[in-house]
Amino acid sequence: MADTASISCKDLTYSYTGGFGPALSGVSFEAGQGEYLGVVGPNGGGKSTLVRLLNGLLAADSGRVRVAGFDPATEPFEVRRRAGVLFQNPDNGLVAPFVEDDVAFGLENLGVERAEMRGRVGEAIRAVGLSGYERREPHTLSGGEKQRVALAGLLAVGPEVLLLDEPTAMLDPPGRREVLERVRGLRRSRTVLHVTHHLEELFDADRVLVLNGGRLVADAPPEELFSDADLLRENRLVLPTVPRLAVDLGLPFCRTPEELADAVEKRSRDNSGVEAR
Amino acid sequence: MRIELRDVRHVYSPGTPFAVEALKGVSLTVEPGEVLGVIGGTGSGKSTLVQHLNLLLLPTGGEVLVDGADAVSMDRTALRRRVGLVFQAPEQGLFAPTVEEDVAFAPQRLGLNEEEVRGRVREALGLLGAGHLAGRSPFALSGGERRRVAIAGVLAMGPEVLVLDEPTAGLDPTARGDLMGLVGRLKASGVTVVFVSHDLDEVAEAADRVCALEGGTVRSVGAPDEVFYDDLSLAPATVRVAAAVGERRPGFGRPVRYGETLAALRSLMGGAA
Repeated sequence: MADTASISCKDLTYSYTGGFGPALSGVSFEAGQGEYLGVVGPNGGGKSTLVRLLNGLLAADSGRVRVAGFDPATEPFEVRRRAGVLFQNPDNGLVAPFVEDDVAFGLENLGVERAEMRGRVGEAIRAVGLSGYERREPHTLSGGEKQRVALAGLLAVGPEVLLLDEPTAMLDPPGRREVLERVRGLRRSRTVLHVTHHLEELFDADRVLVLNGGRLVADAPPEELFSDADLLRENRLVLPTVPRLAVDLGLPFCRTPEELADAVEKRSRDNSGVEAR
Repeated sequence: MRIELRDVRHVYSPGTPFAVEALKGVSLTVEPGEVLGVIGGTGSGKSTLVQHLNLLLLPTGGEVLVDGADAVSMDRTALRRRVGLVFQAPEQGLFAPTVEEDVAFAPQRLGLNEEEVRGRVREALGLLGAGHLAGRSPFALSGGERRRVAIAGVLAMGPEVLVLDEPTAGLDPTARGDLMGLVGRLKASGVTVVFVSHDLDEVAEAADRVCALEGGTVRSVGAPDEVFYDDLSLAPATVRVAAAVGERRPGFGRPVRYGETLAALRSLMGGAA
């Protein structure tokens, strides 16, 4: 049977040598083409292990993995040209003296013709909003800019799937916003699996997976997950400030300060209206 | 102890083509017993600034005063014992076979006897809620646990001022909350805390005063409500909510901490009823 899903995992189990127990155990889920999936959970929950299994850095002990139709354990190169990974630390991934060389690095390894490479590199650099940065040296860039260079390097290869492993963890708030904005711009055109500790980055995700102790304990749309106080607590997840205020005030789910201020205003007017009658 | 920076400048690689002026005349006082939050974007000079508090970096201009005296002429080792500095990602420095031995490393070098060292280790691990990890290998711990052990190693020196450079970066939300709880306990025990953070929500919760850096200079410094309401682009979510409400309801007030903000919103909603 052909896999139509971009990512599909069935009963995935993996233990590190010398680990206390399985890092992942019986994990099953699918991501359809163009879906945006968040992955959250406590440190040690299995999030990074999942990413490594998906791009073939690790091979599962048992279970079945397919990424863009290929098994990452047996055909890692087929998977890696179709699924790019953006890691936490931008300094670890940038290798070339200039931005454009860095973005071209993946294409060089694939043996892409020079003329085509030029076009794809330029396009990828535009897609992350760094036109004009082609001849800048990566070490002179801010953290957010470096992560966007790394993202451009992935986009140039044209992957079907993007695996984002806490790509904003080491960035300041403006850097985070820059990277997230570019990632959001890719919605629907790629399948995205986004690992993060920041739930507010997943407000617009199609679904959010919760991994805890190596098990998939929830697979739900963000609104559903964020309104389940028990589930959040059990998985050491803390609701971001704005929706948390909304919950504590008995108001519906709110994403932004403005939405919450509107809801507060409306509720207090309703309340005073009740009294006037 | 009071640490005072007066017009501190710092140039990296001075006199070379690579010279970069990271601090361009920073004046700031760390008051005894306070919790001071330092915020600012990447490259604003936060890490450079905090490394001047124990003279790990020497100012290339200006002065650092400790209780009014010039710190540069003081015994450097003694100063660094009094001002403990925890770097970013300090768990990378863990090295000993057990947590206990790792945390004991610094107090052993202070010339304390074995019993005193053990007491310090117990106390430091206890403050971080990591006492149960004493016999474990630091390399078999989770990220949050390793971070706490590394901080315990500095606390075990018994510093009067603890400087934390992005102590919660990369930790899960619960581990972040645990660490910020530590800041409160340290303050209660009389330790001055300076912490650098990108997380404005945690700064809002923990800091008595806030210093915002920008391009190597102090953009603003003062009580959290002064700094945050003055420039909403620097403000945590609570303040942005309260400011949005305040636009329509003048006199709403200027809450900063989560509890204050929740209470103010509640009384607005309930008070109108």
